[in-house]
Amino acid sequence: MSKFNRNKALENLTGYLFISPWLFIFFTFILFSLGYALYLSFTRYNLLSPAQWWGLEGYKRVLTDSLFLDKALPNTFKYVLIVVPLQTVISLVLAFAMDQKLRLRRLFRTVFYLPSVTSSVVISLIFVWLFAAQGIFNQLLGLTVNWLNNVKTAFYIIMGMNIFTTSGTLMLIFLSGLQDIPESVYEAARIDGADSLQIFWYITIPMLRPIIFFVVTVGMIGCFQVFDQIYVMTSGGPLDSTTTITYLIYKWAFRDTTVKMGQASALAVILTLIILVVTLIQRRLIEGSGVSNQ
Amino acid sequence: MKSLFKLTSFLFVAALLLTACGGATPTPATPPTPQTIIQTQVQTQVVEVPRQQVTVRLSGWASSPSETALLESLLYKFSVENPDILVKYEPITGDYRQAMLTAIAAGTEPDVFYVDIAYFQEFAKNGVLLSLDDLMASTGTTKDMFIPSLMNAFTYDGKVYGIPKDFNTLGLFYNKGLFDAAGLAYPTDAWTWTDLQNAATALTNLSDANKPVYGFCDPADAGRFPVFVLQNGGTIMNADFSDTTLDSEQAIGAAQFYTDFRKNKIGAIPADVGEGWQGTVFGKGQCAMVYEGGWLIPYLTSSFPGVQYGVSRLPAGPGGKGNMIFTVSWSISKNTKVADAAWKVVEFLTNEASQTTVLESGFALPTRVSLQTSDYLKNNANSAAIFNGAYDNAVPFFWGPAGSDVNDQMGKALERIYLENQPVADSMAQAAAEIRKAIAQLK
Repeated sequence: MSKFNRNKALENLTGYLFISPWLFIFFTFILFSLGYALYLSFTRYNLLSPAQWWGLEGYKRVLTDSLFLDKALPNTFKYVLIVVPLQTVISLVLAFAMDQKLRLRRLFRTVFYLPSVTSSVVISLIFVWLFAAQGIFNQLLGLTVNWLNNVKTAFYIIMGMNIFTTSGTLMLIFLSGLQDIPESVYEAARIDGADSLQIFWYITIPMLRPIIFFVVTVGMIGCFQVFDQIYVMTSGGPLDSTTTITYLIYKWAFRDTTVKMGQASALAVILTLIILVVTLIQRRLIEGSGVSNQ
Repeated sequence: MKSLFKLTSFLFVAALLLTACGGATPTPATPPTPQTIIQTQVQTQVVEVPRQQVTVRLSGWASSPSETALLESLLYKFSVENPDILVKYEPITGDYRQAMLTAIAAGTEPDVFYVDIAYFQEFAKNGVLLSLDDLMASTGTTKDMFIPSLMNAFTYDGKVYGIPKDFNTLGLFYNKGLFDAAGLAYPTDAWTWTDLQNAATALTNLSDANKPVYGFCDPADAGRFPVFVLQNGGTIMNADFSDTTLDSEQAIGAAQFYTDFRKNKIGAIPADVGEGWQGTVFGKGQCAMVYEGGWLIPYLTSSFPGVQYGVSRLPAGPGGKGNMIFTVSWSISKNTKVADAAWKVVEFLTNEASQTTVLESGFALPTRVSLQTSDYLKNNANSAAIFNGAYDNAVPFFWGPAGSDVNDQMGKALERIYLENQPVADSMAQAAAEIRKAIAQLK
């Protein structure tokens, strides 16, 4: 008995030792940082002198700030609501096409995936030039719209770019899901006389549900946190039309002279809560449809 | 057998971890920031045992390769004269203020660094900087060796916290080729707003849709617009920065005049011609006149060497002359352990010889009183125009503790007029209201 216990303890210890490098990184750079940000959200802090306890004042200021309420919050939701469905549908269609026995299939897969492995800053700069006043896009269409300096268009250009870059990765995930669906299910459907559209709706889509849940969740979290493209392309302008929550956090934390680190941390906590709630609702919806329990 | 395997694997992992951690001294867990460390040490020829070296870390932003090269050449000279001090130059690319703020919060800031006038007070107030009065006395450096308005800008509560390293004002850069083509006389120091407007009209040529030429660039930029308010007899803030005056008649009039250039299609913002900065637009010959500082001179030399241009003092408005002073100090961290060596570096970088080098590059202007009569300024009309801008009722580019909000709101006020056709008075009133909100939140 005692020998068994000793073995068990040794085994546990070995396990912990194996994961200890990861644990170290997790505790130092993730858990500690999260906790510290939570602490900072209750303080008045400017990075230069020690933080002072501020209670809920930071949260109060965030929730009454017009830049947050009128621009960042609606912009972020608009971004999520437009980008997530579009990138999911486009990548699903792409994956479906790539799953067929097309000629040059491998070439297409690589081409579609390429934007995803390119640095987002590089793609952002390419888009800045494409959509400049004298850029290629305007030249081709004979237009003179200043896309990125127009309150009505700038945000949509960024959305389009994000869809362009992420669709490749999502396509790859869908593709692996598609190839996991056993051939026998398709055969059975075909024997029952289903046409290809029916097979797509009643076989492929339901079999892909868990993958769709994954893609939508990951896509949504990514969209709630969109930052680098906006930082490079528009810095939140023109007239805050591309300011999102993450950009506002950055602006408050590092750009304003009246450094609002506490307020920025409060907003970061609020963003975390928003993402948590939205993901929970989404999970409830999918669980309600009785699929994700498997 | 199985337990033996477990035991060996336990020992194996333990050994791995021990070797991984062994010998490492506990260091603070700060993520490493990428930085170029350029050591400017020079091997002396003396065969003695090397003397004990003191290391001074020094940082500034790297706005352009020419600025970096300039500083490196000065530091090289310093290392020759002071072999016992090793200066580690760590230029910061990207967002300088953000990098400094995080370094200060983590206690890893360099010993000597740039402090822009825009946030100098914030740093001084929070006790980040070392008071320099005693160090100055130790080398016989006095405040009156520097231009008073610049020295005062880096004085807080009666103590000096930075030595102005150089300064700039705005000058009217004009493209001589475009002026010649239009048959216009070059701008003079006696120009007024009317002359500026007339010239802009005459110089504008939109016949080539792919390469339109505008008379003047009027960007939605808080670094250019305020001079028009000053020239219209107005101010940006009241004297103690407790309120803004951007909704005053003078400020609104200035905004009207400024934005009319673009409205009447004799002016443009850089984005109209697909650029981010009007300096590039000027270099490409698509803006005949821009208001810029001395930093444009080395940029044009390196990027657009063919452009023939001149610089004159800013035209006067209905309220007379007006200009802004942009300046940066060399300051020393309060946490430095090598204050004396750090001061030696600062002293060297701001002495007459170093400032002459900076001046002759055209990049920025000297802060030493003794250099105001330098031959270079006498013989170089372009730099002289920018130097003399300091005497055109120039105010420092600093709008109080809510300064970034003030700049933000000025830019947005102009953008609203440009992009949403908002009436000028409304837009300025909205900006003023937002600034007042920001000031109230400082408490």
